[in-house]
Amino acid sequence: MEFNEYFVKGMAVLAAGIAILVGIAPAFGQSRTASKAVEGVARNPEAAGKIRSLMVLGIALAETTGIYAFIISLLLIFLIAM
Amino acid sequence: MDNNFDGILLSINGFTIELQQSVLNWLILCILLGVFFVFAGKRFEKADARKAPKGILLLCELVVDLCKNILGDNLKEQTRRFLPFLGTLIMLMSISNLLGLLGLQPPTSNVSLNIALAVMMFLMIQYNAIKKGGLLARLKELAEPLWVMTPLNIIGEFALPVSLSMRLFGNILAGTIIMMLVYSVFQLLMPFGPILYAVIPFLHMYFDIFSGLLQTYIFFTLSSFFLSEQVCESEE
Repeated sequence: MEFNEYFVKGMAVLAAGIAILVGIAPAFGQSRTASKAVEGVARNPEAAGKIRSLMVLGIALAETTGIYAFIISLLLIFLIAM
Repeated sequence: MDNNFDGILLSINGFTIELQQSVLNWLILCILLGVFFVFAGKRFEKADARKAPKGILLLCELVVDLCKNILGDNLKEQTRRFLPFLGTLIMLMSISNLLGLLGLQPPTSNVSLNIALAVMMFLMIQYNAIKKGGLLARLKELAEPLWVMTPLNIIGEFALPVSLSMRLFGNILAGTIIMMLVYSVFQLLMPFGPILYAVIPFLHMYFDIFSGLLQTYIFFTLSSFFLSEQVCESEE
């Protein structure tokens, strides 16, 4: 069974779009981190500086999965679809 | 050869090397930083230790202090041993992430530099781990808590360079691509293009300054954390 070249390219673009849907997960994680940090600051305002730096670190770590999805969709677009 | 290649081609005896723009930027940056270090080092040798530092000396002391703060959280009393190596890399990486502000392609948006940095960190961590208690102790450590866990532990060790390099690469490349798209929209809208001046500075602030410096901070915090597990004595 053979596929048309355009079919393959279109499917690769579609797959890239589905792969980037992973972005939902890091968004949840980051928003949870931020909300917990706000709670922490409200409870203990003196620790604001420390909590902020930890929050930024945690948010950037939670972003990793989203970045993987981004790289995979880029690979699909640039290696197969173009 | 695709037509959107930017960079230079070196051909020696029919053997062609493609030097991409990001690699060229990195080379130029390295030469400039090297000259700067030699120059600043000469100034430091002549400087009077009792006077307050001025000009370049002040800048250098501030940067070194910043690097000490980033690494000191994890490495504690071992900071001084690793400061020259990791501090140089911090300076190189933060400046190269900021190159997007000048409209140049950041060297870290090329995956080769990121992987080189991450592999360097990985090798350093493994070297220190083996040096700590010998090869046998290291192998025993990998087999904890059960010998069945050994493959998982090995995968865990190799996940570090992959996650370090891909995180940095993805963030910086995302910034570069989004800025490229915004500028191409600028071109498409041409009579009304300058409207986009309202958003472009903020995008640069987020993608180049905030994201770039944050990624540098995270890269070195994480690698110094994993390094400190091997170098520093645990508190228990």
